[in-house]
Amino acid sequence: MRILKLSKKDEKKLYDVLIEFGEVWAPVSKGSKYVYGKIEKKEDLIIYEKCILPIIPVKKFLMPQDFTMLNFTPSKYSIPEEDIPTTVVVGVPACAIHAVNILDKFYTTDYVDNYYMKRREKLIIVGKSGLPEENCFCHKTNTSIVEEGYDLFLFDLGDYYLVWVGSEKGDDIVRKGSDIFSEEVPKDVSKKFVEFRRKKSNCFTNDVDLEGVTDLMELNYNAPFWDEFGEKCLSCGQCTMVCPTCTCFNVIDDLALSAETGGRRRYWDSCMFKDYSLVAGHHNFRESKAERLKLWYTHKLKAFIGHFGSPSCVGCGRCIETCPVNINIVTVVEKLKS
Amino acid sequence: MKKKPTLGIYGFTGCAGCQLAILDCEDILVDLFNYVDIKVFFEAMSNNEDIANVDIALVEGSINTNKQLNELKEIRDKAGVLVAFGSCANHGCVQAMALGDGKWEERFTKVYGDAKFTVAIPREAQPIHKFVKVDAFIPGCPPSTLQMLRALTQLLHGNQPTYTNSPVCLECKFRENECLLNDGKLCLGPLTMGGCTAPCPSHNTPCIGCWGIIEEANHTSELTLLKEKGFKTEDIIRRFRIFGGSKIVEKVQRLLEVE
Amino acid sequence: MKYEYKKEPELYTPIMMRIISKRDLTPDVRFFQAVPREEYKHLDFNYKPGQFMMLSLFGTGEAPFSISSSPTRKGIFEFAIRKTGKITNKIFELKDGDMVGLRGPFGNGFPIEKMLGKDIIIVAGGLGAVPLRSLLLYIMDKRELFGRLIYLYGAKNIDDMLYEPDFTEMLQSDQLELHLTVDKGNEGYEDTIEEGLVTHLFKYVNNIDPKNTIACVCGPPRMYKSVVKEILKYNLEKDKILLNLERRMKCGVGKCGHCIIDYRYTCIVGPVFTYWDVIHMRELI
Repeated sequence: MRILKLSKKDEKKLYDVLIEFGEVWAPVSKGSKYVYGKIEKKEDLIIYEKCILPIIPVKKFLMPQDFTMLNFTPSKYSIPEEDIPTTVVVGVPACAIHAVNILDKFYTTDYVDNYYMKRREKLIIVGKSGLPEENCFCHKTNTSIVEEGYDLFLFDLGDYYLVWVGSEKGDDIVRKGSDIFSEEVPKDVSKKFVEFRRKKSNCFTNDVDLEGVTDLMELNYNAPFWDEFGEKCLSCGQCTMVCPTCTCFNVIDDLALSAETGGRRRYWDSCMFKDYSLVAGHHNFRESKAERLKLWYTHKLKAFIGHFGSPSCVGCGRCIETCPVNINIVTVVEKLKS
Repeated sequence: MKKKPTLGIYGFTGCAGCQLAILDCEDILVDLFNYVDIKVFFEAMSNNEDIANVDIALVEGSINTNKQLNELKEIRDKAGVLVAFGSCANHGCVQAMALGDGKWEERFTKVYGDAKFTVAIPREAQPIHKFVKVDAFIPGCPPSTLQMLRALTQLLHGNQPTYTNSPVCLECKFRENECLLNDGKLCLGPLTMGGCTAPCPSHNTPCIGCWGIIEEANHTSELTLLKEKGFKTEDIIRRFRIFGGSKIVEKVQRLLEVE
Repeated sequence: MKYEYKKEPELYTPIMMRIISKRDLTPDVRFFQAVPREEYKHLDFNYKPGQFMMLSLFGTGEAPFSISSSPTRKGIFEFAIRKTGKITNKIFELKDGDMVGLRGPFGNGFPIEKMLGKDIIIVAGGLGAVPLRSLLLYIMDKRELFGRLIYLYGAKNIDDMLYEPDFTEMLQSDQLELHLTVDKGNEGYEDTIEEGLVTHLFKYVNNIDPKNTIACVCGPPRMYKSVVKEILKYNLEKDKILLNLERRMKCGVGKCGHCIIDYRYTCIVGPVFTYWDVIHMRELI
């Protein structure tokens, strides 16, 4: 692994290097929150000390909220020619990179989803280890450290960033920016690195205890608290929209007025919605909200392990931040343990 | 050439904004004439038939008089597919906000005194499905151009329009907005039928529920939540009712009973 | 990250097929035959009984349907479709020569290789006869590769019995033990069709060797419990009882999520499940 140094006085020059590779996107503020926005000038590229968890995670670059899969006539179709720009996302926290690794596995297992792959190949990830937010619990899901899935990864060590090069493309970037990326890493780097990690570890305030939850899910499958949550749930679907590993989608056909042409649209769906498990003849496999909530938490905390070897919760805390009625990983785990 | 399907656009009590939404299609409007033969459209055409035999009837507005009711029945008889077009026709909209409280006559007298009506005998506002069989519902106050065209195209194609059974929150999140409920605002997004692309919350204005209530709306939980946020029960219920129309009557009764 | 991935045939793009014939099996179930359009003839269209395909009508949508034909009769795909909603309504408007899109075949299908040499009991209820017809024809066409073949079919009434003439003809055959029943009203058919639930046909199922028998069941959700109970009386092992189940699907390839049960996608590991799966995985039936 190549490890380099990016001096903070050169931070603003980073944009000039990255823009050579594609569009630069990074967290930009929106109200009291952040979203990933396109950065048009170098002054706007801000690298924050804290972990920034935009409202909608990195998945929006890989599977847009709503897009056209096919254009068609009644007897013919074509795949739309999409001009997908290379996108460099800056300031992606470790948990989000874990989430992308999970999406990679998901979209390449059994069948390869080319709509995803086309976008994945065009995505360059510049990660950044930040100090945790109030709701973060990546220290409990083993996702606060990341070993793969990024192109570059930055650690803030005071007056410079330590830059880990994680891919060929990352290597291209540091070569291009040879005037700002230096091979001369200071001698006290190990000390500083340990200090940073310690500081980060001490910042976590969410001490949700995930020990044994996988089995507890099973043990509490018929517990009455699911119904209590079901009664509270607004079925707004926000938890699934903001979750970095939620992937469900719906497909619908749109027609032009002539009915001679049209498009097949694919857009995000949520297992919290009533129609999610509805089949022909109006049989609904998950009629109650409690069943749908159970499905989601089972999928995040237990089921995914069966399929891919790790839980699909990466500890970003968005569900805690987002659910208006406080149904989230913390409150669910509390019930599981009581 | 295949005969163009005939279309009748009728308006009862409402602001006529849904009909205007058709005119608002602009570029596509001319195209629309290529595919349908519009027989009735009082808001936009001269030489209308009163009530014509049509393949598709779009009915806007709620039923507020006996005369309207009779006309509605005739429209139904003469239409292949009858569509409730927009919130008033779907669930009664604002003019039905007090539906079911039993005080309609009291209110009516307060406004009109003992005026005698001979032509159009007034009655409490009701959505059209209370009187006739409705084949399809296009929600919205007014329906969005995109969704209206999608629905109309499906109808012309002989399909049932796809019904948005997800709340405003879905599209609100597509647009990467912070949840206004979490921001302490009285937002009805989770209770409201989506399809509008969430323009209000995207401009930091809470959803007032103008597209009508979604099938699974959890008013009980939303009421509890809003009370926790410091809103008064009566204010919340009033907000529920503004666009709740016929769909909210029982729900509100149940909520008040629990209260 | 750089990916070395095989460019698969596009997952979400259908093969265009032409409807070559159709006929009504019941008042609301229609049988369709489709053949791939000329430019797709080079493709290998092999499939297994019990698999399904995603049928597209551009402008209306896409939905999963079980294949009702047998892979032993190559070139023609057959479906029997009940009119229940938007897409199926439109399918009923199809005329000969019309084009439909088909993706697949998807799903696991019946584990034919494990069924070779075994006695097979097939239990169909209502529309369950559609996927099971594929299996039935397959076994009939490769009769020597299997042991006894017992087929029990229950429909609501005579009108709702799928493939009724075919079955009546097969009653004469010594190749299979076929028993038919309708829930109510077998007047005029007393000789060939019984009256009562499909479970009541098990009285004809005798001398079963549990070690050497596999049961395949497909029908409406409420049927499974009672049928499985009957089969268990013959001491069949739980993984020798196969159930063909149904879920909502939008993609057929394990991506859209709708058919999820626990961590498994019905479209990948199903729609054929063993009775053990049913006990083990909640929500399955």
